[in-house]
Order: sequence, then structure tokens, then C-alpha cells
Amino acid sequence: MNLAKREHWLGCFSVLPAFVLLAIFMGYPIFNTFYHSFTNWDGLNADWIGLENYRDIFTDGQIWKLLRNNLIFLISIPGILFISLIVTVLLYEEVAGWKFFRSVYYLPTILSAVVVGFLMKTIFSQGGNFNVLLRSLGLESLIVDWLNVVPTAFMVLIFCFYWQTLGQGTLIFLSGMSTITTDMFEAARIDGAGWWQRLWRITIPSLVPTIFYFTITNVIFVFVGLFGLIYSVTGGGPGYETTPIDYMIYLKAFTTGEFGFASALSVVLFAIVIVISWIQLRLSDKWSE
Amino acid sequence: MKPWFSLHRALIFIILLLVACLSLYPLIYMAASSLKTSMEFIEDPAGLPKTLYFDNFKALFYRFDVLLLFGNTAVCVAGGLVITLAVSIPASFAFAKLRFRWRSALYIILIATMTIPGITFLIPNYLLMSKLGWIDHFISVIVIWGVTSIPGNVFLLTSLMRGMPNELLEAVKIDGGNYWHLMGRIVLPMSIPGIMTVGIFNATGWWNDLLTPLIYLQSDATKTMTVAVATILGRFSSDYPLLLTGLLLTSIPPILIYILLQGFIRKGLVIGAVK
Repeated sequence: MNLAKREHWLGCFSVLPAFVLLAIFMGYPIFNTFYHSFTNWDGLNADWIGLENYRDIFTDGQIWKLLRNNLIFLISIPGILFISLIVTVLLYEEVAGWKFFRSVYYLPTILSAVVVGFLMKTIFSQGGNFNVLLRSLGLESLIVDWLNVVPTAFMVLIFCFYWQTLGQGTLIFLSGMSTITTDMFEAARIDGAGWWQRLWRITIPSLVPTIFYFTITNVIFVFVGLFGLIYSVTGGGPGYETTPIDYMIYLKAFTTGEFGFASALSVVLFAIVIVISWIQLRLSDKWSE
Repeated sequence: MKPWFSLHRALIFIILLLVACLSLYPLIYMAASSLKTSMEFIEDPAGLPKTLYFDNFKALFYRFDVLLLFGNTAVCVAGGLVITLAVSIPASFAFAKLRFRWRSALYIILIATMTIPGITFLIPNYLLMSKLGWIDHFISVIVIWGVTSIPGNVFLLTSLMRGMPNELLEAVKIDGGNYWHLMGRIVLPMSIPGIMTVGIFNATGWWNDLLTPLIYLQSDATKTMTVAVATILGRFSSDYPLLLTGLLLTSIPPILIYILLQGFIRKGLVIGAVK
């Protein structure tokens, strides 16, 4: 056997185990989910009911509430993007202790959503720290039961999201900024560009690919990654007011046993994520041209 | 040259310090509360503990058997790492350095699976695991973690292995060195930093994971630490100091890994962002 042929077979056998395992535990389940989304399924018996699950999802109004909940997180992304950018630009000035600060900001990111969630749940509970703080500041009129009322429950959830994402944001943006040469800054300084001008004319434009990466990972995160946080902070409540799509799939499948309905909802979520990924591909192609 | 002190640099320092306090405060609060009785917590949740009270830790060790829970998690994480690394390392090397038909098509398919939301294959896999009798056995979580992490790990390792010098690999190939020789003597030693990076990401991600172990490990004796804290302490207990002590213990392994190995974590994040 010649060398090229040997290399060909070696390559094929090296990647084979990965594809076999992925076919069993990802490929087959996806087709299975897709098929069962057209059935009334309790895990044992599945009756074909056509598009009924999808009709239920889109007509009983629930999908709009679930989507609304995902969208609330989605529109909170520019906020943390902006905060991360500002903190990064300040870190880039390399004031005393900036390396220590950079490490500290990442600590919340390394923790489980479960830890962050329950931690914030105790802080924002009726008798928790935050209300104690408000009382000691004389702001008793602002005291509410943060997690049992809708707009404030979202504020707490988004605070958790921001608190955990800042570390990721600053690390990514710092690495993006390391590609900007100091010459560019010096040149701008000599030309008399002020701090704000340098931020808008040099820093942000050269960070565009990194900003794009940060935004896309977090957009996908708000559709597929919120489970742990929702489970620990609000449990989706009050009612279903803070339930995003992925948490509803869990509730339908593992608390009420509506596997068919949960499958259909999974397919909807899958479609949403595919559309986002497609947009991402198109945009990154456009920029690399 | 930047002057080492100026008004605007002092202002920047103060802002960064405030953000750092905001990042650290909940962690300090968690540690302080773990030393309080629940009465003391209700009366003054924000203050420092008045006495050093270790009964929360004792309760977790004796009533909830934290060591068993840590052990369960460690076994699952170790098993997952064995599967994912054993499969990802040869595949990444092949994608990076071997020429074979359909290489780029297969690579694109593998990378595309990264975008599929994990919850899409949760129900069929759950039913598959119950048919196999693997519910409440670590093997279910080990297999799911090990397999679902393959695409991401291959992506990271392939992009790192592309940087290996071809001359070195060609020399071994021409000398008639076999595949195992090449792997063991050159590829593995040169890939240690990359393998460490994906290992750390996988291990901390799994340690922190809720959904997978929550579904597959349901009896209390097989739960992972994170799931046990979320289900037993979080859902059914209003004893906040006990809950916060559990959260503190859950956080210690990831924080230790981060403090000791933060260089690898920073590198891994950057690879993702730059490619």
C-alpha cells in the first residue's frame, strides 16, 4: 500500500469514532425528535396527529409569551456589550492593579449558573440584602418582592446575566485590542484626537469582529443557555412570566410528560438557532470579503 | 510615556475598583453567610458573622454527604474527559495534518453540529438511556458529556494543531515511524497546552452543569454536587445559610481551577474569538 493511500485510511479511521458517536447520540435523536413532534407521545406510545402540536404552539398564545421572554434577554445584550467595552477600554489604560481587576471580573463567569442564581435569589428575596440596603438608605418606597413581580424578576435575571458575562466580555475584548498597535494610538494622539475620538475612531472599529463574536455567542446563549439560571432564580414564574423556550421544553417533557409537544417546541427552537447561525455566516462572509 | 499618576487615571482606578467590588461582593456575602445561624441571617442578612459558626458545614458533611457528591461529580467529569479526549485528539490531528478524501466536508459537518441546541436531543436520549437501564448510573452522564463536547473540542484542537511544523511530522513519516510512535512522541507532547485548555473548559463546564445530570441522575446517592444543591437545598429549604454554604462548596473547585490555571482559560477564550 502506498503512502498516500495509507494516509487516507489513517485519516478516515481517526475521525470515524467521532462520527459514530455523534450519529448515535446527536444525529439519531434529532430525527427522532423531529418525527415525534408530529405525534402525541408519552414516551411509550406515539399517535400520529400531524401538525396539531405546532398548531397548539402557535395558536394558544404561549409561544409569543415564551418568545417575548427570550427577546427581553436578547435586547439586554447591547447593555452588557457596552459595559464590557467601557470596562475593557479602562483596563487597557493599565492603571495600577489592572491585572488583578481583570482576574476578579472573570470570577463570576467561572461559577455555575446554579450558584449565581441561588445566590442572587437570596440577595433579592423579600428580607434579603438588597431590601435591607434600600431600607438603610431610606428608600423604603422602592422595596418590593423582587422575584414575584414581573418587571423586577426580569431585572434580577438580567443582572445575573450581566454579572456573569462581564468577565467573558472583558477578556475577549482585551485580546481583540491587543491587535491594535500603539503606533495607531500615538499617531492619533499627535493628530490631536481626544480620548472619546480615539475610542470611536480607532478602538471600536478595530474591535468589530470581536464585538460580532461576542454578540453572536450571547444571542445563541439567550436561546439555549438560560436553563440553569431560570431554574434557580424564578423557576419560570410567577406563572410562566419568565419562562423562555428551553425551560418550557424541560417543563413539558419532564414535569407533565408531554413529550410530543416538547418535541415540537424543540424543533421550533432548533429552527430559530439555525436562522441565527445562518445570519452569522452571511454577515461574517460579507466582512471577510 | 504615561505619567504614573494623574487625575483621570485615578478616576479610572476608582471605577475599576467599584466594578471589582460589585464582582466580589456576592462571593463575600456567600462566604460570610455560611458562618451564620439561620436566625442571625434573618435578623441581619448583610452584616458580618458575629461568631464563627461551623454547623452549616458540619450539616453538609454529615446530613448531605458532600464528599459523596463531590466524588460522584469527579467520577463523571473524569469519565467524560476520557471519552472526549480519546475521540477528539486523533480526529483533530487527522483534520489538521492528514490528507484524506472528504476531509473538509467532514470537518464542516462536525463543526455545524456545534450550533444544534442540546435540548433538541434531550428527550430521545433520555428514553434511550432508560431503555439501556443507564438512568441513575454515571455512565449515562459520562457518555452524554463526553459525546456532546466532541465538536467543540475538535474545533479548538484542530485550529491549534494546524500550527505544528509539517517538517517534523514528515520526517517521522519518511523514517517509517508508525502512527503510534508519531502520536506518542510528537503530537501529544506538542499538544499538551491545547489539551489542558479544552480539559479545563470541559471540566468546569460539566462541574457547573445542571440540565444533563438533573435528567439522568435522579436518586440522591448518585447526584452531582451542583444538582444536589439545586434540588435538595435550593428547592426545598428555606434555610438560606445552609443553602449558601452548599453554593460556596460547589464554587470552590471551579475557583481553584481558575486561580491555578487561568492562563489556559484566557488562551481558550481567545482562540474562539479570533478564529
